[in-house]
Amino acid sequence: MPKKAVVIKNKLGLHARAASQIVIISNKYSSDVMIHNNDNMSANGKSVLGILTLTASLGTELTLDVEGPDAEELLEKLVELVNNKFGEKN
Amino acid sequence: MVSPKNLIVRELFQDQAERLKLVIVGGEKGIKRKISSPRIQKPGLAFAGYFAQIRSERIQIIGNTEWSFFHTLSPSRRHEVLEAICKINISCFILTKNLPPPEDLIQLGNEYNIPIFQSSLPSSIFIRQVSTYMEEKLALETSIHGVLMDIYGRGVLLLGKSSIGKSECALDLIVRGHRLVSDDMVNIKLVPPDVLIGSGPELIRYHMELRGLGIINIKDLFGVASVRYRKKIELAVMMEEWKKEYEYDRLGLEESNIKILGIELPLLKMPVAPGRNMAIIIEVAARNQLLKESGYYSAREFDNKVIVRLQQKGSGSLIENIRE
Repeated sequence: MPKKAVVIKNKLGLHARAASQIVIISNKYSSDVMIHNNDNMSANGKSVLGILTLTASLGTELTLDVEGPDAEELLEKLVELVNNKFGEKN
Repeated sequence: MVSPKNLIVRELFQDQAERLKLVIVGGEKGIKRKISSPRIQKPGLAFAGYFAQIRSERIQIIGNTEWSFFHTLSPSRRHEVLEAICKINISCFILTKNLPPPEDLIQLGNEYNIPIFQSSLPSSIFIRQVSTYMEEKLALETSIHGVLMDIYGRGVLLLGKSSIGKSECALDLIVRGHRLVSDDMVNIKLVPPDVLIGSGPELIRYHMELRGLGIINIKDLFGVASVRYRKKIELAVMMEEWKKEYEYDRLGLEESNIKILGIELPLLKMPVAPGRNMAIIIEVAARNQLLKESGYYSAREFDNKVIVRLQQKGSGSLIENIRE
């Protein structure tokens, strides 16, 4: 199963709007997404509230763990989203 | 994901100083020591020279008996036994009932960085309170994607893939007067020996996300009686898409289970399909669970009734045959 570590780069961190973007993308695919932080917490990538419990602020490292038939493509899309600061300027 | 837990002496002190009437009297530098078991120890036998059962990373409670025995020892022997205990890497010493800490104890506590506390509570009450606290703090914990509801006082955990309709079903149940514990993510703690307690993560507590509506606050919308802080989990319901090839339970005679933190919970597999009102079905499942807990199994009772009828009819026709 493909896995990748990403670092939150936008100033506000992983807030509600950003989390919803992850969920919107994840829900277009049939693969399952788990997001882990380094404090031993995990959240389902298809749940906005779940992702928000990770309270990932600027600089936080998260591991995206995708499993399923379209996992590779989904992982690529999610990494791109995080690296593009969820489309935010800062 | 199960996380093994540790408690730091400082945490115990900060959280419980007031409730346990704790004052620190020595060894402050050791305040970051770990506590890895909720079980306390009393070092009476260790004072008598038997150290085999003294465990590291546990709290040592010195009550009246230990304290008075300790004072029968010669100063050199006291130093010897204390040093031996300190070397075992224990968490801390706690003197109950405001017993005055012996000077050599404080000296060694400072030397080995082992915190020494004093409490005004008697040992029996102190031990009960501190054990409850530590059991809760050191409980095995996991978090699960799902919804936890209190339905007629039964803790029902709704599981299933995202977008199967767990939150919608939960909202339906709330409107019908049942109470939400957590949506989306449930933290579950194992309270020994076999109780699972679920609660919501602090940040998202009492919130719910519904497609088309967004994030809503249930406590604000429906009032304080519509939510619960935590709940013992008694039943799990797995919501899943109706699979034609899967044989769903038609009778309710067989029981399946799901294991969470090693504890078995009764599990119902519930197919979702148009025309099936999940909230009502789950509400009835909770009622049925109540019946089962009081020892009445509807399906079994019914099955027995059928069997009795069959036997009667069997023997009845036998009599008729003889008459003929």
